[in-house]
Amino acid sequence: MSLFTYQLKQAYSGLKQKPGFVFSVVSTMGITLGALLCVLTLNYLLLLEPLPYPEQERIFVAQHHIIDAKKETQKVAFSYPGLVELYKSRVAFEQSAMLYYSQDVITSHRNQPLVNTTYVTPELHQILASPMALGRMFEASEALNTNSPVAMLSYVTWQQAYEGRADILHLKINIRGVSYQVIGVLAENFVEPELAEIGRETQVWLPWDFNVESAESRYNFGNIQNNFHFIGQLKKSVNQSQAQQLITPLVSELWQEKFVAKFDFFQGWSVDMRVRSVKNIMLGESKSFAVMLLAGIVGLVLIACANIANLFMSRTAEKHRQMSIQAAIGATKKQLFSAMLAETSLLMLMAIIFALVIAKTGFYLMQQYLGALLPRVNELSLNLITFGSALLITAILALFFAKLTTNMINYRGLNTTLQSSGKGSGLQVSKKTRQILIASQVALATLLVFANISLLKNAMRTINAPIGFSTNNISTLVLNLSSTQAYSQEDAIPTMAEIMTKLEALPQVESVAQGNSPLGGFGIKALTKSTGNKKYTPYFKRVDQRYFNMIEQPLLQGENFTIIDRRDNNNKMIVNQAFAQQLKADGAVIGMLLPSIGEPDFKIVGIVKDITIPGDTAFGSDDTAASVPRVYAPSGLSGRSFMLKFKPGQSVSRQQLAALLAKIDSRYSVFSFNKISDNLNQRLFTEITTAIATAMLALITFLLAGIGLYGILSYSTQMRRLELGTRMAVGAKRHDLTLMIIKDNVNPIVLGVLLSLITLVSGYFFFIDALSFYITSQLIPMFAVTIFLISSLSLLVCYLPLRKIINLPAINSLRGTE
Amino acid sequence: MTTALLTMKKISKVFETEELETHALKDISFTINKGDYVSISGPSGCGKSTLLSIMGLLDVSTTGEYFIEGVNVTDLTLDQAAEVRNAKIGFIFQSFNLIDELSVFDNVALPLRYSSEKPNSKKIKQRVTQCLEQVGLSHRIAHKPNQLSGGQQQRVAIARALVAEPAILLVDEPTGNLDSKSGDLVMDVLEKLNESGTTICMVTHDPRYADMAKTKIQLLDGTILQAPLVKIAS
Repeated sequence: MSLFTYQLKQAYSGLKQKPGFVFSVVSTMGITLGALLCVLTLNYLLLLEPLPYPEQERIFVAQHHIIDAKKETQKVAFSYPGLVELYKSRVAFEQSAMLYYSQDVITSHRNQPLVNTTYVTPELHQILASPMALGRMFEASEALNTNSPVAMLSYVTWQQAYEGRADILHLKINIRGVSYQVIGVLAENFVEPELAEIGRETQVWLPWDFNVESAESRYNFGNIQNNFHFIGQLKKSVNQSQAQQLITPLVSELWQEKFVAKFDFFQGWSVDMRVRSVKNIMLGESKSFAVMLLAGIVGLVLIACANIANLFMSRTAEKHRQMSIQAAIGATKKQLFSAMLAETSLLMLMAIIFALVIAKTGFYLMQQYLGALLPRVNELSLNLITFGSALLITAILALFFAKLTTNMINYRGLNTTLQSSGKGSGLQVSKKTRQILIASQVALATLLVFANISLLKNAMRTINAPIGFSTNNISTLVLNLSSTQAYSQEDAIPTMAEIMTKLEALPQVESVAQGNSPLGGFGIKALTKSTGNKKYTPYFKRVDQRYFNMIEQPLLQGENFTIIDRRDNNNKMIVNQAFAQQLKADGAVIGMLLPSIGEPDFKIVGIVKDITIPGDTAFGSDDTAASVPRVYAPSGLSGRSFMLKFKPGQSVSRQQLAALLAKIDSRYSVFSFNKISDNLNQRLFTEITTAIATAMLALITFLLAGIGLYGILSYSTQMRRLELGTRMAVGAKRHDLTLMIIKDNVNPIVLGVLLSLITLVSGYFFFIDALSFYITSQLIPMFAVTIFLISSLSLLVCYLPLRKIINLPAINSLRGTE
Repeated sequence: MTTALLTMKKISKVFETEELETHALKDISFTINKGDYVSISGPSGCGKSTLLSIMGLLDVSTTGEYFIEGVNVTDLTLDQAAEVRNAKIGFIFQSFNLIDELSVFDNVALPLRYSSEKPNSKKIKQRVTQCLEQVGLSHRIAHKPNQLSGGQQQRVAIARALVAEPAILLVDEPTGNLDSKSGDLVMDVLEKLNESGTTICMVTHDPRYADMAKTKIQLLDGTILQAPLVKIAS
């Protein structure tokens, strides 16, 4: 048996006698290293791992920036015909594809599920070389203008909606009245490029030709929506900037000719095409989020390492006599190090195994809860990077702790330990080392707690911001029309009226409004002030006469719309305070006329209070704090969206609504039925997740720092037990000793706080651009709160180990050391 | 006329664990007068040090009453006991119990720093110097304890015990950690102190040093073996 194997066995039997020590080391390091492995793997995946597409470095996304007369970007979205023209041109790209994101109901399915659909041209899956589980991908026979009704399903849809049935390729599915033959199922390992929003996964892929745009809107260069996308593989001879230069004039000139030339309002506007790598688009701001997360976790690991270093030092002090005996019988310094390494290796091995379990759990939690926040989380798994990092971390930490503890031992002094029978010559951690540990714990904890409290406060500010309207007991109901036949708005009016009447008659329902949720349904309206020709682009929405009452958005001045306004399409307008003040500083705008493009002038008849929708910013602005200008006009009578306000504690099911619709007109089904409060929470998902994560991280940091500081100070106080007993013997009272211990530890605590302050100030100057958004004067009280918390914690942990000594007769401290 | 400085009436001390009850002291009663030099001796484990701890208010008795200068100090709080210790009692430990990080001056001055009288720096300096001169160590005032020999360290401890002008010195095996030459030197200092009027109570198992006391108390299994023997001055 080699010496190291023998030492491993000895270490194992030694550790079996110390279950508390083993538990502390394995749990502390396991949890923190687990988090580190989890975040390291995430960072590798996001920052370094190539996308799983062939020649992924040549895959780019073209973005259509609409630039106003002031040369500012007003919107990043394609016009429908602009996109099609770019696709047809084949300029700069070897292969390209168009995508149209939507949602549809599979009406042929017994549950009529609402699914994410993407209408694409066949090149998309060819560029991505999408792996198939069954059948084939779209091909030339499904290209533009072929109108071939076929569908591809995602693997999850096949498994969940169709129970993985083997005859899926013989199945037809019905969407919006069109029957699509299923021709393929994508493989489970297919990774969809998330171009529109993180976490959105297409469940059914359909050919481009079947997207829901009407024939008229397909030729309208004003039909600008952010669900049109362009992706392509650049020609080998063309680079990113050349591609931008090649396609910009093509798209911009067409838009100028077909759109700008027709409307005075848009004079001076242009299009600037930007080409970005698909990886860049997919990652967005997640890169900085992942790096920040890594920094936070590294901080936690450092705190945990400081705690464990302290535990190891206490254990070395405890084992001093044992080591003296080993030295006396001939163990060399190297052999003592090797014995220590055996113990630290064993512990770190146990910790890393636990850490891998934690990491695996972390991947699962991230996939479950952060799928909408972070891209590519579905690809997270224990891989070579995780195992490699785990192995490296284990080796580094085992060596570090072994080296640290061996450095405490004065090899030459070991013999004198035996000679003096251990009386008063026990191994001690030097005061300097203890103070360094305290200062580093305080500095790290202050930095981490401060960063987390700041992020938490930012998130809470958004979560708690008053929205200005009520969501209580209100749900939205959107209907789906399953018909390919032309169906005029006039035809729909009596049906919608009947649906409204039947909905109102439901005993659970308090009132019904025809229109979209206050959280959505806003477009942009180009308006001109009749005096002065000043141009405005407020958010615009059509609402009925019940809308404002139902959501309790106060009408401050003027009058509401009437049913007659809706029936006669009266061009009345209600504006919010923010827009009223944009139009006229005193906000007195009732009666003002606002010319619009291609419509009679709108007359302002009322002013409503502003509302705040999380995530909304004024059009063309990044300022989240500014009030968003909004305008409202009367809606028509044929809309298929409703808001239902239920009586307190009551609701109806989707099935009840489906049954009600089936009785009225079987062509209508439930497209979506959601509580507005749920939608609001979804909008706040990022903030809520951030708030929970930062609060947890701050709490864990605080606890770890507390445990670490307690460990150091408890050890330090124990080492001073005789001194404290002696002081008590000569007359020191309890408050004298408490003050003394606090005074002794104030220096490293203050040093730690100063270190954190210096780090923060340096960080601010080095990363001023990235941090400027977060730096406000409110951070000063935040920092003061953090310092207060950490200082209170430090003082508390100064007192806690001391109280065991000073609240007992002095003899307890003197006995045993005498 | 003799004045009772310290009186113990039926003092008992019981140490309890979950399984065991140990009677360390049983019904101990005696009086120490001002100017006395008392030795307490007996075999290991007989309760000498426990008795000294109770006398020095470092520990509390289980039953019985204890008076210092006629004042009942049996049930004092920890802080009250600390105040009495500071004002009335000087302690000398077997292993000196000097604080390594403090200089000789600061070690000796320690009781004055905790005194309720709050003497000023000048007075502290004057008193510390005086005490160090008394033990012959004024030239070592700026040294650290680990720069001194064992005998010198014990003399510093004696100076520390004297600095607050206590009513009594409680001495626990003062020569236990010293060679015989240093031990003799320390005992000479104690004898001189007693001659100058300092009351001393010393625990020792060395019969040679026990004989130096005027009054001898012998303990066995927590009881006084015989009534205090008073040495007749020759």
